[in-house]
Order: sequence, then C-alpha cells, then structure tokens
Amino acid sequence: MAAWLSLDRGDNDPAAFWVYLIAALRTVASGVGENALALLDAPRPPPIETVLTTLLNDLGAVAAEIVLVLDDYHVIDAREVQDGMAFLLDHLPPRLHVVIASRADPALPLARMRARGELAEIRAAELRFTADEAAAYLNEMMGLRLTARDVAALEGRTEGWIAALQLAALSMQGRDDVTSFIAGFAGDDRYVVDYLAEEVLARQPDRVQAFLLQTSILSRLSGPLCDAVTGQGGGKAMLEALDRGNLFLVSLDDRRRWYRYHHLFADVLQARLLDEQPGQVQGLHRRASEWHERNGELSEAIRHALAAGDFERAAGLVELATLAMRRTRQEARLRGWLEVLPDEVVLVRPVLSAQFAGVLLISGGLEGVEDRLRDAERWLEPATGHREGPQETSAEMVVADEEEYRRLPATIELYRAGQALARDDALGTIRHAQRAIDLALEDDHLCRASAAALLGLVYWGSGDLEAGHRGYSACVEGLRRAGFVADILGCSIALADIRSTQGRLGEAVRTIEQALQLAGEQGGPVLRGTADMYVGMSEIARERNDLHAATQLLQRSQELGEHTGLPQNPYRWRVAMARVREAEGDLSGALDLLNEAKRLYVSDFFPNVRPVPAVRARVWIAQGSLGEALGWAREQGLSVDDDLSYLREFEHITLARLLLARYQGERAEPSLQEAARLLERLLLAAEAGGRTGRVIEILVLRALAHQALGDNPAALGFLDRAVTLAEPEGYVRVFADEGPPVASMLRAAAKQGTRRDYLRRLLAAVSGTEDNGPREQGLIEPLSERELDVLRLLGSELDGPAIARELMVSLNTVRTHTKNIYAKLAVTNRRAAVRRAAELNLLPRTHSSRP
Amino acid sequence: MSAISPGRQHAGWYEIRVRGHLDARWAAWFDGLTLTHGSDGTTIIEGPVADQAALHGLLQKIRDLGLPLISVNHIAPDHPEAPAAGAR
Repeated sequence: MAAWLSLDRGDNDPAAFWVYLIAALRTVASGVGENALALLDAPRPPPIETVLTTLLNDLGAVAAEIVLVLDDYHVIDAREVQDGMAFLLDHLPPRLHVVIASRADPALPLARMRARGELAEIRAAELRFTADEAAAYLNEMMGLRLTARDVAALEGRTEGWIAALQLAALSMQGRDDVTSFIAGFAGDDRYVVDYLAEEVLARQPDRVQAFLLQTSILSRLSGPLCDAVTGQGGGKAMLEALDRGNLFLVSLDDRRRWYRYHHLFADVLQARLLDEQPGQVQGLHRRASEWHERNGELSEAIRHALAAGDFERAAGLVELATLAMRRTRQEARLRGWLEVLPDEVVLVRPVLSAQFAGVLLISGGLEGVEDRLRDAERWLEPATGHREGPQETSAEMVVADEEEYRRLPATIELYRAGQALARDDALGTIRHAQRAIDLALEDDHLCRASAAALLGLVYWGSGDLEAGHRGYSACVEGLRRAGFVADILGCSIALADIRSTQGRLGEAVRTIEQALQLAGEQGGPVLRGTADMYVGMSEIARERNDLHAATQLLQRSQELGEHTGLPQNPYRWRVAMARVREAEGDLSGALDLLNEAKRLYVSDFFPNVRPVPAVRARVWIAQGSLGEALGWAREQGLSVDDDLSYLREFEHITLARLLLARYQGERAEPSLQEAARLLERLLLAAEAGGRTGRVIEILVLRALAHQALGDNPAALGFLDRAVTLAEPEGYVRVFADEGPPVASMLRAAAKQGTRRDYLRRLLAAVSGTEDNGPREQGLIEPLSERELDVLRLLGSELDGPAIARELMVSLNTVRTHTKNIYAKLAVTNRRAAVRRAAELNLLPRTHSSRP
Repeated sequence: MSAISPGRQHAGWYEIRVRGHLDARWAAWFDGLTLTHGSDGTTIIEGPVADQAALHGLLQKIRDLGLPLISVNHIAPDHPEAPAAGAR
C-alpha cells in the first residue's frame, strides 16, 4: 500500500506539512494519526516529537507494509519540518518505508542512515534509461517503431534523461520523417528541453499554444479556473484533450477535475510567456486570484495577488484569511505574507496592522508590536482635530473585514495586555486586559476569555486568589460560549489549584469533575488536558490520605498517553507521584521522581507557586539530609528576613521546616527562634490572602515549634485551629506527614473531647494503620447505595427505560444517577463505567472473586 | 524587501556556466540576466545578483530545468568587468 504526498512550497509550514502527511497515510491506513491530528489542531500544540510519537504508535500497530512517498521533497527548506522528518525516520516502525523523491539531497542525517544500512539511494545514474529501457519505452509504450540506431542516438543525446525522452517521443508521434528528426536533434547543440519543447509546441494549433502559455502560471488547473484565467470557455474539454494527448499533464484526483503541468514543462511554458507576452502576466495572475477568492481558497488567491504585484488586493485577502490561518496554526505562512506587503499598504489598514501585531506577539517577539498597534489605533481616534498620521498622508482607511474592525478597540487592548505580560509588567497587563473586557463587543467571547485569563494569571501570581479565580472563571465562561472546550481544561487546572490553596478541596474536586464531564460530552479523541485532570484529582486524594486512589488516578492519567496532557503535565505528574511515594515512606523513590520533574519543568504561563526544588528540599528534610536542604536554601537566596510574597510562600514555609529540623537535630536554639518568627509572619500573610490550605500547614508547623519551645498550651491552641479548618475538607496528610511529634499533640487534643472521630482518623494515619476507612471504594467521592444499584444494572443488558422500571424510578432519575456515576468514576460511557467498576471491585456480588 | 538585507555584502556580478545552448528567451525567466553561448556548447548566464538568497534561487531554477551546472564565478563585488561593459 502506498501513500503519496506531492509537496509544494506552502508545505514548509510545519502545521500544514504534518496534517497533509497524516492525511496521506490515512488513505492507506484509515484511523491512524487521529490523536496526532487532534494535537496539531490544538491551540497550543505540543512539541512535534510528541505528535509524531502518537503517530508512530498508531503506525506500529498496523499489520500491513506501508510505503510513504514524498514527492518533490526539495521544496522543503524549513528547518522545523526537516527536524521532524529526521525524528520520524529515526523511529520508523519496521513495516513503514519512506520514499523521498527530491532534486536535492534532503537535509537529513544521510551519512548515519547509510552507515546503518537503512538508506537505499537511487541516484541520477540509476534513474537514467539504458539503451534497452529507452527502446522499450519509445517503441512499446509510446508506440514508435524506431531502429536500434535511432534509439541509441536519442539515448545518447538525452543521456537517458526520462523527461527528455518523453518530450522526444511526443515530438515524434505522427511524424513520417522520424529518422531525419532524430538526426537533426542529435546534431544540434541546443539545450535538449528547448529543442524538444519547441518541436512539441510548434505542432500544436495556436489555440492550444495560447492556452498552455496562459495557464502555465497556475500550480493547479481545473476547467473553470482555466476559463477564468483565459477569459474563454472550453477549459475542461481542453484539459481532457491535453491529458489524452499526454501533454505533460498530471492528474491530481480520480475524477479528472484537477491537474497540474509536469514541472519542467511548466517552467518552459512560463519562460515563454514571460518572454513573448510579459504584459499579460499580471492580468493572468489577477484573474487567477479573483477566481480563487470566489471559490474560498484564500491562500492561492493571496499567492496570485502577490505574483501580480497587486499588494492592495493581497492585503485585503490576508486580512480576511488571518482568523482561519491562526485557527489552523499556519502562523509561519501568515507572517511570510505580512512581511512582503509594503508598509504603506499595511498602514492604512487598521485591522491588518493589529493582526500583524498579534502574529508578531505569537511568534514570541515584541519588536514592532507597539508600532503596529499604534498604526491601527490612529484610525480609531475620534475626529477631535488632533488626528496625526492619516491626515498628513491624506490616505483613506481601508477595511476588508468589517466584523474585525468593530472588534478592533478591544483587540488592540488585548494585544497590549499580552505585550505587558511578556514584559513582566503586571500592572500594565491588568490595566489593558480590563480595558479589553470593557471594550469587547457583546459577541466577542474569545477576546473577553483571553483577557480574563490574563487577569486570572496575573492576580493568581500576585497572591490575590479570589481575583485570580474570578479571571479564570470568566475565561471558562467565554470559552464555553465560543465553543473552545479544549482550552477549558487548561483553565480548570488553575481553578482547582487556586481552590486547593484556599483550602477548598471539595470545590477543587468539583471543578475537575465538571471539566471532565464537559470534555467527555465532546466525543471524538480524548481532549488534551484530560490527563492533567486526573493528576489534579490524585493530589487531592493523596491529601485526603486515599493513597490507593491517588496512585490509580495517576495510572489512569498515564494510560491516557502523553498526547492527552498539556505541556506541564509531565512534571506535574511526577511531583504528584513523588508525594504519594513520600507518603508511603519511599523517600528515595520520591527523590528520583522529583529529579525528573525538575528536568521536565516548563513554565507555560502558570505562576510557579510550588517550585520543584523546594518540594525536593522537603524530602531531603524528611530524610535527614539537612546539608543538601541547606544548600538549596542558600542557592535560592532564602532568608528569614525576606519580604514575603505569595510566589515565594511555599519556599519560605519549606525554609521554616528546615529550621525546625535543624533544631531537632542539633538543638540549635537560634534556629528554633527564627523558625517561630518566620512562621508567625507567614501565618499573617496567608490569612490575609485567604490561603486557608497554607494556613493549615503553617498552623501545624507553629504547633510543632511551640511544642519544641516547651509551650504546650500554645502548641495545642495552634493545632486546634488547624484541625478546625481542616476537618470539613477532609485534610489528613498535612498532619500525618509530620509523624510522631504531631501524634502526641493529637492524642492530647483527643482527650479534650471534641472532634474525636476526625482526630482518631488522623492518629491512625500517622501510625500508618488506617484501613482506608470509608473510602475503600478507591474513589474520591464514594458512590451512594442507589448509584451502586444503577451501576449494577448498567452492567446488564437492560436499556435506560428498563433500568428505570426495574428500580421503579423515572428515566430522568436514572439519567441523573448515571451522570453522577460517570463523573465519580471519571468515565464518559457505559462500557467504561462497567469496566472501571470491575477494576475497582465496586460490585462484589457480580464479581465473586473477592476472598 | 528593505535596504538592510543581511546578504547585501555578498551581492555582486556572477557568471554561471551550464552545459547546452539555452535559448535567449529564458532571459526574462532568469530575471533579466544575459545569456550568451560559448563555442564549447555551454551557456553563460551572467549579471548582477542581489544577495546570496537570490543566487541560490537562481541555482534552484537551473537545477529545476535539469541543466548540468559547470561553474559559478563571482566576478566583481559591485560593477561588472565584463567585456560588454567596457564603455564605463
């Protein structure tokens, strides 16, 4: 089975290249690359290696031999595409073979592949026809009856070059004087192609010659397109006639609708057109551009407008194409167009100027962004007499996309906010994002969502968690209205993290469940970000000391595959797993995972509120490796007298832990005093910021500090405050992780009589004897009895109405139960629910294997 | 696109020799460079080339036509010393 991909210049855009390549593969192996395509379509695609890994996994599972042909590979000069190809070839499954046809040696590690014997090269010498092959081609395929001498003469003159032999054969068809033609050809010094093309063209009627020249500017030809370009009818019939006559036409589909000229022949025709009718070229390109625009093919329309030198037209088309190009991640191509447009053409187009700024921002630069935004803004200022640029030049404003023009005031502010963020200017980001929201039109959900996310990010990083949460919530709402579900998952990570920090674990769980449910409703491949959701759930299960569920959720996340995770997931997953290991007492396992996490950390627009090195320092402290932990504190420049900020809060709490541990080890009194002082300040700051999750931890540490100071009443006072805040949300590990020192205080508190059950659970957790009590289902939110009934029937053959009858409830009630079951089991359909129930042994009556 | 192009310092007059006599009608295709036929069955394509990118574009056109390339010579940094320009 062969998958064929003919490349052209536009395929230098990595997004386009890989989408086409996968589409070609899918013509012979349907179903492969579905996840890869979904990833490429994502707003923030992962590194290409991740995309290709999922594709290679799919291909590895295909039983048949597949040949992938990449034709005209020499047009590919983009480094990113070449690197991706090198990766693909390095990991090629044994049954996939890649054939690269190229006029230049491709920029791939050829020497290495040659040395490994993985490369078969067919070079010019092998491609050349031998005399025998030339004879077979000319006489058998082309139906000429040539003598051996004639064949030898042709083979010698063309040096066996197949394209030239094909041209020669065409020139000779229907000739009586073949031998004298060959003699004339062989005795001539002219470039083979010139001589033969002349012969071939000269034998065509004028009408055909004119058609060939005029349509030579097209990279693809169809009847209607040719009619538009030539200004005459009969294009379809003409193409069919050329195809029958074997006139260098290559059919591009099975239905004989689209063709292209053989590249060499197209070059000959274009050269002639330029030489004979230079005045016509512009008009031909313009008509081609107009036709493509009418048929919704903006990329081709832009290419021809630029070739016609009609920048006005090209600029208008680029303006209209921008949204679609950005949605399909073809920013590289978009930028290429924008950069060839003359400044004076862009200047009078406010929408295009702003789009230019947006493309610059996305490709990571700040240079030129502000200038372009000012260019755009000048056309928006009210006519108050102090308009500058536009009036000086007396130029008229040009707008192609009226809709975008109406949205422009908000768009400009949004880009300014993005610009301020890139400059680490928090106040500027807030000011511009807020203005963008104020100015956004009723239906401009995406602008509002983007601006709200920027607000969320900046407020979160500054420690104003409520404002941060408001920002991300507004973003989710906007994304939902705009139909961008995949991005909602990313926001949900932020929302859940914020709620956890606020000590609202139950709400954090609900946030994640809602996101998962929404993602499940989408159908299609698993949305990117789903793996992150399970990691978030796992962290909460761990805090609640359901280590079994925490581990299972992490396994689940891993099973979904790397492609279902956002850029930060690889590091988050390892931190979460490390903390489970730590809770299980496997400290060296935890350290290994944290070292990996440190290596895999990427910032990806989230504030780094729990730096991996600090998490690792905590494990060192637990291990008694205080030297390493002190080294960390020195490296980070931490001191007890630092000004406190939310961004460093986790590190400062870690420092306090280190000081406490030093006191325990060395009885260093000053350490203890310093720890107590730092904790006192930290507590005030965390309380002021409403960060209850952190408050609980600091209170526990203050209790330990006062215990060490010998002030037991004060210690118990702090512990009681911590317990009061922690109980409603089911915190366990924040106490249990402190081991025996906290146990004695818990026992003393239990004697005082309140919250006995909770304190007993905490004590059990400290001594590691807790039997997972009410959570033996291995779920964060256990299923109710009724839900278990429904779940049991979901495993049967009964349909929804039958289940409702069986349980004597309404169908709606069954649906509600089913929805809750899916959410709690973190699945999206009935089969998965039943499978999950079996895994978790939730229905022992139907699975009697349990002892 | 602008006057400050990075390859500018490599601009100059180039002379490219290929095998076979190429019709003069290709001059426009090669952006106005002059084509002259050598007595040894070669064609010399010569003229000003804006920068390295333009030179490589030119070489690609030659490659795409299947013309066997014999030599590429950088004749002068800015102005031609070709015989035809002797008037200067």
